[in-house]
Amino acid sequence: MNSVSLKNYRCFRDEQTANLAPLTLLVGNNSTGKTSFLAMMRALWDVFFEFRIPDFKEEPYDLGSYDEIAHHRGGRNGRADGFEAGFSDKFRRGSKMSEIAFDVRFGKSGAAPIPVRTRTESTDAWIEDNFAPGEPRKVRIGTGRGTWENAATPELDDPYIIGERFTLPRQSPVRFYLQRLSELEPIGDSPAPSREDVDEAKSLERPRLPLTIDSRPRRPFASAPVRSKPRRTYDPSRAIADPEGDYVPMYLASAYFGDKKTWTRLKDGLEKFGQDAGLFDEISVKALGRRESDPFQIVVRKYGGRLKGPLRNLADVGYGVSQALPLITELLRGRGGRDMFLLQQPEVHLHPSAQAALGSLFCRTAGNGRQLIVETHSDHLIDRVRMDVRDGVSSLKPSDVSILYFERDGLEVKIHSLGIDGEGNILNAPDDYRRFFMEETTRSLWRR
Amino acid sequence: MCAIIDANVAHEVFGENAPEAGVRFFDWIDKGSGRLVAGGLLMRELERSAPGFREWAVQAIQSGKMRVANQGKIADKTAMLREAGACKSNDHHVIALAQVSGARLLYSNDQNLQDDFKDKNLIDNPRGAVYSTLVNKNFARSHRDLLRRRDLCASAS
Repeated sequence: MNSVSLKNYRCFRDEQTANLAPLTLLVGNNSTGKTSFLAMMRALWDVFFEFRIPDFKEEPYDLGSYDEIAHHRGGRNGRADGFEAGFSDKFRRGSKMSEIAFDVRFGKSGAAPIPVRTRTESTDAWIEDNFAPGEPRKVRIGTGRGTWENAATPELDDPYIIGERFTLPRQSPVRFYLQRLSELEPIGDSPAPSREDVDEAKSLERPRLPLTIDSRPRRPFASAPVRSKPRRTYDPSRAIADPEGDYVPMYLASAYFGDKKTWTRLKDGLEKFGQDAGLFDEISVKALGRRESDPFQIVVRKYGGRLKGPLRNLADVGYGVSQALPLITELLRGRGGRDMFLLQQPEVHLHPSAQAALGSLFCRTAGNGRQLIVETHSDHLIDRVRMDVRDGVSSLKPSDVSILYFERDGLEVKIHSLGIDGEGNILNAPDDYRRFFMEETTRSLWRR
Repeated sequence: MCAIIDANVAHEVFGENAPEAGVRFFDWIDKGSGRLVAGGLLMRELERSAPGFREWAVQAIQSGKMRVANQGKIADKTAMLREAGACKSNDHHVIALAQVSGARLLYSNDQNLQDDFKDKNLIDNPRGAVYSTLVNKNFARSHRDLLRRRDLCASAS
């Protein structure tokens, strides 16, 4: 996604657009909407790619019901009667890159927010799909030559069914109407839709989803701020993804026992990070039996100069190791890994040097179609990103990094899109950005 | 708006017994819309001249209050200026910094450097302006007017 816009959502009242990059860092005080922002990113992905009603209570986010999600204007102004969000992105269609803007309006159904309108727009055409509960479905399509709408509620498969998560390919309204253009009625003095209109409207079709090895769409990886506790032993089971990273030991064990190539690559990456972060020098899986169903342990080792320390159980080393492991593993997964990461405070429990190493890892793994959106309170992480970009340590360029500053103003929050330049300088910072830190530093240096 | 502080007045900005004009200049950067530019030799001079500057600068860079210009570019421009004998002062590196960064406001009490900074042949589009406490250490109207200007930043080269 290149940008995300929000309106009347949580603490975001007026419409505002935030610039995204391959690596986007979300910063700001507590309770300024950073997690809400991440939740909406996943919700938009769900609606756009999966034709799915987003669940704003799904882990790792719990935003509550509609009344907690729609913006409250304070006093007698009450709650907004709907909220909106959207994104823009570029997709490859054959040899061409095509830009699409996608917007969703959410209304209320019972206590839950549901999408009631979507609008998809390309440079050549647009389609608006209105499907508020209890009303006939209304679809409008427009190109440079005219605008058309459906004559009656079509027998279009209802794509918005809660619980049907992975039933792709679903039929999009664009494809449906491209096949039935003659059934559309011109609005105003629009001519009958032609072959050219069909060709232009094709630019609205959703791109084909990248599929994982188990043929499921690569839904964004959304991590919880606190990951699962390490266990002394693990019983083999299926690795089922979850925001706390419970599945990661099993995933590592599967690779260790069944896919040496993947394990070698993962081990190299994990150990490089472990060494950079000062967490461990070696990682391995220890089988506690000969059968595949026997328990196993995740063990790590630290070196002291030329001396190798003992292999220690994950449960016996600092909490930072087990907290970082799920994120690092997921970032280092190659084919079959995710394209979008929504990370909440990945630095939790890590020493500043490990937080900085995390910044370097983000620089190495963002880009080339992979997008990292990271909510963080770590100066060490941000500083490392600035310096790595400045020094050209990874292939990440200054334009590949965005810093979104969430600034509270009364009951509302404004998002500032900051950038960095080739010298690692912060660009476009508002005057109040990091005021607390400036005041503390000045006070500590001089009595004035 | 971007500004440069000459090392000879650093103690007036970053210190405990600063004059009012220095305090207001500091507040303009620290709390307001002013942005400081430094880099190369001037950075080291500021660190030597003003205790605490280094610590403050680290925070100011993280906060977007201060920008560090490319050292290589400053060095190249400095060498060119020196070779051309273009400056009255011996602060070629300060003029080079303004040319590289686009900063057009200078806080200095060095008369030769002030003349250089106002020299159209050295600093132009827009012309350079000088904030000085040579005549008045209080926060005078002329000081206030300078800090209110919005046109004292050129695009960086």
